[in-house]
Amino acid sequence: MNWESWSAFWDMGGRGFFVWGSYGALLIAVVAELLSLRSARKAAIRSLHDDHETL
Amino acid sequence: MARTEQQSNDKFAGRWFWRYAAPAAFYPLAGKIEKIGWVLAVVLAAIGLYMGFFVAPTDATQGEVYRVIFIHVPAAWMTMVIYLAMAFWAGTGLVLGTRLSFMMSHALAPTGAIMAVVALWTGSLWGRPTWGTYWVWDARITSTLILFFLYVGYMALSAAFDDKKKGDRASALIALVGAINVPIIYFSVKWWTTLHQGSSVRPGSSSMATTMLWAMLIMTFAFWAYCVAAAMHRLRTQIIEREAGAAWLDGATK
Amino acid sequence: MSLRAATGAVFRREMQLFARRKSDWANPIVFFLIVCSLFPFAVGSESEKLKLIGIGVIFVGALLASMLSLPRLFEEDARDGSLELMLASSEPLAVLILARITALSLGLGAALTVATPVFALFYALPFDVAGMLALSVALAVPTLLLIGAIAAALLVSARGGAILTAVLVLPLTIPTLIFGAGAALRVLNGQSPVAELALQGAFLLLALALCPLAAAAALKISTD
Repeated sequence: MNWESWSAFWDMGGRGFFVWGSYGALLIAVVAELLSLRSARKAAIRSLHDDHETL
Repeated sequence: MARTEQQSNDKFAGRWFWRYAAPAAFYPLAGKIEKIGWVLAVVLAAIGLYMGFFVAPTDATQGEVYRVIFIHVPAAWMTMVIYLAMAFWAGTGLVLGTRLSFMMSHALAPTGAIMAVVALWTGSLWGRPTWGTYWVWDARITSTLILFFLYVGYMALSAAFDDKKKGDRASALIALVGAINVPIIYFSVKWWTTLHQGSSVRPGSSSMATTMLWAMLIMTFAFWAYCVAAAMHRLRTQIIEREAGAAWLDGATK
Repeated sequence: MSLRAATGAVFRREMQLFARRKSDWANPIVFFLIVCSLFPFAVGSESEKLKLIGIGVIFVGALLASMLSLPRLFEEDARDGSLELMLASSEPLAVLILARITALSLGLGAALTVATPVFALFYALPFDVAGMLALSVALAVPTLLLIGAIAAALLVSARGGAILTAVLVLPLTIPTLIFGAGAALRVLNGQSPVAELALQGAFLLLALALCPLAAAAALKISTD
């Protein structure tokens, strides 16, 4: 096991800012992309069915 | 050389690969690929992160900060791989005139741009404690930045046309022009950096423990699966937008 | 009409337009002058500092000035209908485009090349460096216009012209920038600029071979 405690894990040998700054940025990027994927799909389906109702 | 989709259809109709050039046929297949992609991405990321943080030992020279490379290297690779894939589908679209190829290119671009941002961000956070600076004008870093510009240009151009078909072909052409230029830019920058600055800050070629390599490899496949899944999702959304009015879509989206 | 006659006609028309409309070459030069004179205000007026940035500033200024001339290639012709004639011509489009770019390169390239050593005085650059910089600019302008022609052709029928042209073209000009400014830097450091000049020549030849074809394809796409 690499870490003696959770605080050692979060500390990353004093480099926590750089490590968690990187992983945090990735998390934000992925969540933002997933949200935009979902909202784009919803908008597409809504306009698809709207078009049909007006026909 | 360049055909319309109809001409390509006359030539290739009945061949196995041509079947999936029709959005209606590819839509369900893309859905299956997407599902597999999400599952693989989650499972592989869980294994890769566990290995990266709990199995791989502390690096002798870099300390703990090297654990950034488990996401940095995969993101940098995906930036390049996605650009190649994007240019490939752009070229296919220009030659065969297939609308699904253009949609594939469009679906890949945003994920590629995000990967470029992640690679640059994590790279600079890794570089600060390791090299002593957030940014180095190194050939690989600079090329990633330029790839990001090329992604942005591609997306901006495809959005700049009112006529979607025109935007498809125009942005496909610029994707190909970019693909030809990327190696030229890479080697130019490489020459330039050896000219201007001493090699005071270079990534060391330190030998990596096997577990580190495995963690990085598994994370790379996780990124790959994620990118495929995201691109397939975007592709399906585009099919819904562009094929609106086709009867098969009603059943598929209910 | 033979291909030669058609190419000659396109070339002559461009040159005549260039001679008649002074703003076509005067505006890029004035822009170039203003860009070059802005930097000392931001950096400071010590000649040692200016010498360091001078080459880069002048080269980027020339690059941006040629970028500003890109819309001239096709946009006005699209408006007055002469582009339609060019497209309808039976001659290969790539050759006609090459004739136009050659004409613009000669006109604009000559103007920028003449202006370069004068602006080098702003930055306290020695005469041999200024001369090499002028040669670099002379070699770079045709390459930049050839690359830019692809984007200009694509954007004939798109929204958001100028800024999008810059976004598309500027990343592709980095190799030209590296070796163009690099040649002058070599002279400043007392080294031989032959390798940089040779590479610049290679880029020009590559651009000459590929860009007119790509620009012709681009023009067909955007005027379809």
